[in-house]
Amino acid sequence: MKDFPRIIIGLTVACVASAFIMGAAFMFTIKAKKYNEYMEFKEAMYNALGYTHENPAPKTLQFHEVYRYILHEPNKDYMGYMVPLKSGRYCFVALSFDGNFLYKKDLNISEEEAREAAAREKALSSVLSPSVKFFYANKIIIAVNNGKRVAYLLPRSFAGFKTTIKVLLALEPDYTIKGLEILEEEEDPGLGGEIKKNYFKNQFKGLTYQQISQLKVIKKPLPEEYRKCLEQEEEFTEAEIKKIRKKYQDSHIYALTGATITSTCVTNGVKNIVKKFAYRIKVLDKIIKTQNIDAVI
Amino acid sequence: MAGKPKSNFELVLNGLFNENPIFRLALSMCPAVGISTTLMNGFLLGLAVLFVQVASSCTISLLKNYIHPKIRIPTYTLVIATWVTVIDLTLSAFFPTAYKAMGIFIRLIVTFSIILMRLEVFAAKNPLIPSFWDGFGMGLGFMFGMMTLGFIRELLGAGALFGHQVLPSKPLLFFILPVAGFFCVGFMMAVYNYVEFLFKRAKEKKMRG
Repeated sequence: MKDFPRIIIGLTVACVASAFIMGAAFMFTIKAKKYNEYMEFKEAMYNALGYTHENPAPKTLQFHEVYRYILHEPNKDYMGYMVPLKSGRYCFVALSFDGNFLYKKDLNISEEEAREAAAREKALSSVLSPSVKFFYANKIIIAVNNGKRVAYLLPRSFAGFKTTIKVLLALEPDYTIKGLEILEEEEDPGLGGEIKKNYFKNQFKGLTYQQISQLKVIKKPLPEEYRKCLEQEEEFTEAEIKKIRKKYQDSHIYALTGATITSTCVTNGVKNIVKKFAYRIKVLDKIIKTQNIDAVI
Repeated sequence: MAGKPKSNFELVLNGLFNENPIFRLALSMCPAVGISTTLMNGFLLGLAVLFVQVASSCTISLLKNYIHPKIRIPTYTLVIATWVTVIDLTLSAFFPTAYKAMGIFIRLIVTFSIILMRLEVFAAKNPLIPSFWDGFGMGLGFMFGMMTLGFIRELLGAGALFGHQVLPSKPLLFFILPVAGFFCVGFMMAVYNYVEFLFKRAKEKKMRG
């Protein structure tokens, strides 16, 4: 019994000391870790756009982020976009859910600062009235080259078979899929985990908006020629790829063997992302035009 | 542990050969079978274990007089977990590609029986410097074991070393599978036993002659 205080004190001291060491290690590494994550995301962005070491992105290519928020007021809900302006600042545009313009406010935040969620929240809460609650929904990254939109990049997540799957979808201005990257998944290795492999995710490449709207999963073996083309794209010329795509690619995705549910999840996820996005960007573009917003995008 | 204390060099050799964690003590077999599929994996996990073993051995041998004997095991685990977290964070920050390959095994170092066993058997009873060399030897022994297994398995399974193709084909794909890990460990144990047998015979001959 008389050992109790000693044991308690001993364990407490040990725990506190180890917490300090772990905390110090965390503080020491957090910067490098964030940088790694940022670089990884950037690489995924370039991969989704189809740029590689041999085929680097043009120097004039710029990325601009548009952030979407959901806002709650006591008697109504609506949404808002943070739109980057040519001045390098942001402007907040609020819309009702059916696409009508509500109000517009200028934000004192640069594009660099806006990458931090906390900085965005601070800037927003300084211009919005205190009764408004806002929640971050998602973002659109718009790739601009010489003042022209080249692609949309959509980091999104949807339910997979086991957990949430995080993807990065690259779309052309006409909503044709430019590339799909799987950022995070925890499906079964060897079964659902195969969604990361080129022969699955490259099936989405080149699907047009029309095809996506009717996209479905079929349980048929992947033709050998098509598989080769999907896996080693660099060994084929552009004309050959086009020919093979024309032959096999229609509004269907070949399911992975033993992972039909995961395949369906990804297919439906991509379908939904494109469908929602196409509607939203049309509304946003209309607002930008009618309200004379000097947007950089 | 009776007899005269071993010199530092002997302690390191002891970890490498006489009491090699994988081949003689048969401890920490799970990572030995699971992750020794390539030479690089074996090297990296061995390095991580070496660091954790040395750091924990030193910590425990410094603190041994302050640890209440009734709570020594939780304290050891806490110390190991602390150092594993440190190396986990460091690897993920500065070596992200290696960290991805190691995956969950870095965090599983906490449960490696070899580390806890060395703390209990050696570091808790010896001063700092022998504990350091013992930890170093044990870590080195583990790394050596992992690299030997990785060498055999990568060479036979994938025909490559450190990811570079050295053989024209893949001779036996079977060696990449976990089952082959057991075969390799068994084979290496046999080699160790045979070498020990040879040494013993040579010694006896010397004593007689």
